Amino acid sequence: MARGKLRDLSFFLSPMVLMVFLFYLVPLIMTVYISMTRMRNWNVDRYLTEFVGFYNYERLFYMFQHDPTFKAVILTTLVFVGITLMINVFGGLALALATFFINERPASSYRLLWLLPRMSPIAVYSLVWYYFFHGSEIGTLNSILMSLGAISEPIPWGQVTPWGAWSVIIFVNGLVGVSFGMIVFTSALNQIPRELVIAARVDGASSWQISRRILIPMIKWHLLYVLTWQFLSLLTTYPHLFLLVQWDLVNRDYGTTLALYVFNTAFGRGEQDQGLAAAAAVILSIIGILGGFVTLKVLKFERMMKRPRGDF
Amino acid sequence: MRDVETRPKRYERLIVLALLLASLPLILGFFLLVLSSFSTEMVTNLDPGSFHPTLENWINLFQGKIATTGGIRVNIWRITLNTLVVALGVAGVVTGVSALAGYSLSRIDFRGRKTMMVLLLVLHAFPGVALIVGVYLLYRLTFPQNYEVVGLYSFAYVILARAALEIPMSIWLMKGFFDTIPWEFEWSGIIDGASRITVWRKIMLPLIKPGILAVALFAFLAGWQDIIYVRTFLVYPTLATFIEANIEAEYSHMPLIAAAGTFYLLPTIIFFITAQQLLLQGYSGGIKG
Repeated sequence: MARGKLRDLSFFLSPMVLMVFLFYLVPLIMTVYISMTRMRNWNVDRYLTEFVGFYNYERLFYMFQHDPTFKAVILTTLVFVGITLMINVFGGLALALATFFINERPASSYRLLWLLPRMSPIAVYSLVWYYFFHGSEIGTLNSILMSLGAISEPIPWGQVTPWGAWSVIIFVNGLVGVSFGMIVFTSALNQIPRELVIAARVDGASSWQISRRILIPMIKWHLLYVLTWQFLSLLTTYPHLFLLVQWDLVNRDYGTTLALYVFNTAFGRGEQDQGLAAAAAVILSIIGILGGFVTLKVLKFERMMKRPRGDF
Repeated sequence: MRDVETRPKRYERLIVLALLLASLPLILGFFLLVLSSFSTEMVTNLDPGSFHPTLENWINLFQGKIATTGGIRVNIWRITLNTLVVALGVAGVVTGVSALAGYSLSRIDFRGRKTMMVLLLVLHAFPGVALIVGVYLLYRLTFPQNYEVVGLYSFAYVILARAALEIPMSIWLMKGFFDTIPWEFEWSGIIDGASRITVWRKIMLPLIKPGILAVALFAFLAGWQDIIYVRTFLVYPTLATFIEANIEAEYSHMPLIAAAGTFYLLPTIIFFITAQQLLLQGYSGGIKG
């Protein structure tokens, strides 16, 4: 490499390399290390050098077998990821298709509206649902159902285990994820040549037939992309669940996914156990990294990366 | 104009209505929150009797009186400033780093370029929660002994740590913007004898202003809405931690918290109104969830 090019490259890339090194690589190594120590309550002076090997992983495995709380967390993670993923993908698809067939004006208003969960501060968003699902008669959902006569007493939605708690966390997080699919699918639909839709219309096809036979088959790649991407996101995000559990809107065990469990074990109330949290985080990371590479392979991302055209 | 003009009109109203029905909880939830902030008690149970219009919540909020009784006071402007510093800091760091790296990934052919781009995608998929334990240990190990710089240190750290989460996707976004600029602009500069750095600064940056704006906007919103990183690293309160703490506090007057929430929502609403097109196009690269 020419000296000038090397100078240019280090100018352009060094901030990024530094950030990735400091905030991805070093923390990752530290997390793996902590997972093999007895670190608790962030007592760095005392526990940083107390090496225990795979003890924390053994504890996790033991808890998986015998601890009902931890079993609830694992089960919640599976149900939460599975159902929310379906809602995100098919909800996003439904929104994209529905707005495809109506006038531009209402369509873009709806798209914007559905971005609100993603854009609004997490604390405000959680506050909204805190009152919506509140377990007493001040809860919006309870009051609607009571005035309709569907229920006679307020239901503490998030405390009904397991499905009440699951429904709340799936609903709240599902709304955030739907907009991702909606935007990806909308831009994919807009790239489909209009002649195809016109020809089908002329032949008398209905909107439903056009969707099924033309539009959906043509955005297969995007469906796969959203599916795998959202799977990884759902597996590892927790901020939108954090406050719901913190404020006791949902049951602690059946409202906690593994990612939130890691955070609460490391930073939550009461005794903090960073060694255990780090071990769980390492397991999540392994799934995440594997999933990331599978995504890349399945979707053939590398083909999209062309060489710069006119570099010299 | 995506579907053609010959489409039957009769289903259109049906679709619009169905969408409205599906959006109802969303509209209702946010509407009730904003309404409650102008009321003496929370309006959450659709009972019109509980709405008594008042501006008191907002006045008290801005004066920092968070409880109706007792002398508990907070400086809401200071809290807002903290939030703003974090959001602007994240926006600045993310925009700077991604404008630099995005250019080189788009325009310069070097060994390892492809690997770097793949790595960035994988990093974006990487669980933030797995990092935060390690990021916190790094924070503790580098924590300053000198008491006076603790505040500054925690601000700098939370900004950098939060920005790092946004960087992989922002670089991809920025690269996409650079890709749309014709090569001829760049060649003309280089023929005139300018270096790549000069070309980047004098020719390319002015051309991708919309891209810079988009990336900065998303990074700002990411920093503004964050709760996990600010409550873990920042020694000062922000609007997010203020709301978090006051939900459970016995003394808090809830309509006032609703006002704080609405106030916290304001930048989002401003961007909603002013930058609609930008948001619809660019949000696919935003946060996970």
